[in-house]
Amino acid sequence: MITVNNLIKAYAGKVVVDIAALQVNEGEIIGLVGNNGAGKTTFFRLILDLIKADRGSISSKEKNVAVSEDWKPYTAAYLDEGFLIDYLTPEEYFYFVGKLNNRSKADVDEFLKNFDTFFDGSVLKSGKYIRELSKGNQFKVGIAGCLLQNPEVLLLDEPFANLDPTTQMRLIKMLKEMHERRRMTILISSHDLNHVTDVSTRILLMEKGLIIKDLHTNQDTLSELEDYFKV
Amino acid sequence: MIRLLLSHQWKSFWRSRNAGKSLALQIIIGFITLYLLASAIGLGFLLQKLLSDFFPGQDVIKIFCGFILYYFLSDILIRFMIQDLPTLTIQPYLVQNIKRSQLIRFLNVRSMFSAINFIPLFLFIPFTIMAIAPKYGGLAAFTFIISIVSLTLFNHFIILYVKRKSILNSWWYVIFFGVIGAFAAADYFHLFSLRNVSAFVFTKMLAAPLICALPPGIAALAFINNYRFLFKNLYLEDIVGKGKKKESADYAFLNRFGHIGDLVGLDIKLILRNKRPRSVAMISLMLLFYGFIFYKPQYIQEGKWFILIFGAIFITGLFIITYGQFLFAWQSAHFDGIMAGNLDVKTYIKSKLVLFTGVSTIILLISSLYGLMSWKLIVLQLAAYLYNIGIQSIIAVYFATYSYKAIDIGRAATFNYQGMGAEKWIYSLAVYIVPIVIYLPFGLLINAWAGILALGVLGLISFLLQDWWTDILTKEFLKRKYKILTGFREK
Repeated sequence: MITVNNLIKAYAGKVVVDIAALQVNEGEIIGLVGNNGAGKTTFFRLILDLIKADRGSISSKEKNVAVSEDWKPYTAAYLDEGFLIDYLTPEEYFYFVGKLNNRSKADVDEFLKNFDTFFDGSVLKSGKYIRELSKGNQFKVGIAGCLLQNPEVLLLDEPFANLDPTTQMRLIKMLKEMHERRRMTILISSHDLNHVTDVSTRILLMEKGLIIKDLHTNQDTLSELEDYFKV
Repeated sequence: MIRLLLSHQWKSFWRSRNAGKSLALQIIIGFITLYLLASAIGLGFLLQKLLSDFFPGQDVIKIFCGFILYYFLSDILIRFMIQDLPTLTIQPYLVQNIKRSQLIRFLNVRSMFSAINFIPLFLFIPFTIMAIAPKYGGLAAFTFIISIVSLTLFNHFIILYVKRKSILNSWWYVIFFGVIGAFAAADYFHLFSLRNVSAFVFTKMLAAPLICALPPGIAALAFINNYRFLFKNLYLEDIVGKGKKKESADYAFLNRFGHIGDLVGLDIKLILRNKRPRSVAMISLMLLFYGFIFYKPQYIQEGKWFILIFGAIFITGLFIITYGQFLFAWQSAHFDGIMAGNLDVKTYIKSKLVLFTGVSTIILLISSLYGLMSWKLIVLQLAAYLYNIGIQSIIAVYFATYSYKAIDIGRAATFNYQGMGAEKWIYSLAVYIVPIVIYLPFGLLINAWAGILALGVLGLISFLLQDWWTDILTKEFLKRKYKILTGFREK
């Protein structure tokens, strides 16, 4: 699905992402772990063509993301509040995203019905603009906005960090369901080793821009990761 | 404590991300301020002579007293527009061991360092010393100065209060302008004479210096009022102004334009719901009245078409010029989302051109009321309109692809130079020069109407080529896409 080739990105002479080769297959759930500054978010931004690689390339479905815009219709991402249009109400935002993906208003309403428990009554009809929502609720809007696009590739940057425990569990359940139903390819970065090993089929451990471990998840993965992160 | 807070402000200015650039700007603003203060002093010294020249044979002091209230009335209006609310990023301090009263005192002290507070001193003190002191004595002159200072402070604190109130509730705007407008109108229609009132009050004051206790009294009231308001409202949510329930809106008429319509709808919401773009849009609407300045009947009679056509271009194109200045930067807070979303760049660029065309059309329809003055103005404005939608809009989008600075759309617009860079000045230059370059050869070689025709026809041709332009602009945008994105991410 996504192929990375000799990718290098440096800021002020310091290499932040350096991935010689990586193949992400269709239907994989990739958990990206690593300490702050490992290059996780930068890698996501490179996949979304939001920053320019110094060398190398990323292809999605064999097309270079920096050259063609063909990846946009089947890719959805939520990295931070910069992906939300904060002066809209959540509803307006969903309708807007829906329209861009050719889904009618009724369609969007129908879709949002499944999110009642996820939103926990504090997002829809709240009478607030997105900028007035709490961080956690903004994140919920962002994630729902992604799933609304029914994407083939989904990128989430630290989705567990801002959510309450119940919603974290719900999110994991939802991602697993979506993955089974659609064979969605998902990339998640997280500091929560428990959750990320629970949800992922494959773990990439990054350190200073390099992928130093590439593991297929099994019952030993968690302890292996805990070993690495031990103080 | 206040000194410590001041030093923090000082640091926050110097250590901000683009300290160098804002320094250059501060220097320019500093020069302008110095110039204004110098003019005020100069005028202050000349006042006596000027007044006796303009009103020969009358009592200069009485004339002077007659103008004082006018001065403070216009002072309060100007303040409303340019006086900054002193802000301190208050959040980190609220939880520290600092008393609320200290924070408020800091906000109040800080707010007083504003050139507009010194202008009346420079303007009035020389006159008081030169004209009033010899005639009424030192005590009267002294108390007179005290009352001038008091009135200045009264204006200062009342404006802070009104501005803070109007952030919470926009009815305060209406009330404020209503009251000021009522005073001005009453004076204009001779219901009462502000000048006589002013002259009466201040000459009485000179005769009986004790009355001068009155102005410090009202200044103190304004200060206390402002202080108490701040004291009660020094909670974050009050400052942010929550409360009102927000409704979703849907612009059905845009639906038939597909994704372009959706994007235009987004821009409309952006304008309506955010302070800075809203005031830019308001200003371009208000400047519709510029027609009364530009379109002088004598210009039309004498055929000064060159001035008239440029007036027309600004009136019908001001929205493009000012909104286009920050075309992409308005969306800097969520530009990542726009670029990663399911939306190709070409549609995005095209939507901006459609927005320009739509708004200009509305402005053209409104401004065609000037046709009541002369039908020629309608022709003129039509040519200007075609030029704007065909050429001006392309220039605006082109220069927007060079604008890499994020702006905070929630902050007020006046005297806000955030996001201003060299490319903005070049843009302003282009806005003036391009129409002149098109007009001049035809205007000089044939006649003015040929120049106007050239602007209109070239505009129309360029407008018909809009798809071709969109491709070019998209390519230009893509060349600098990463630079724009990086710039917008740095807040």
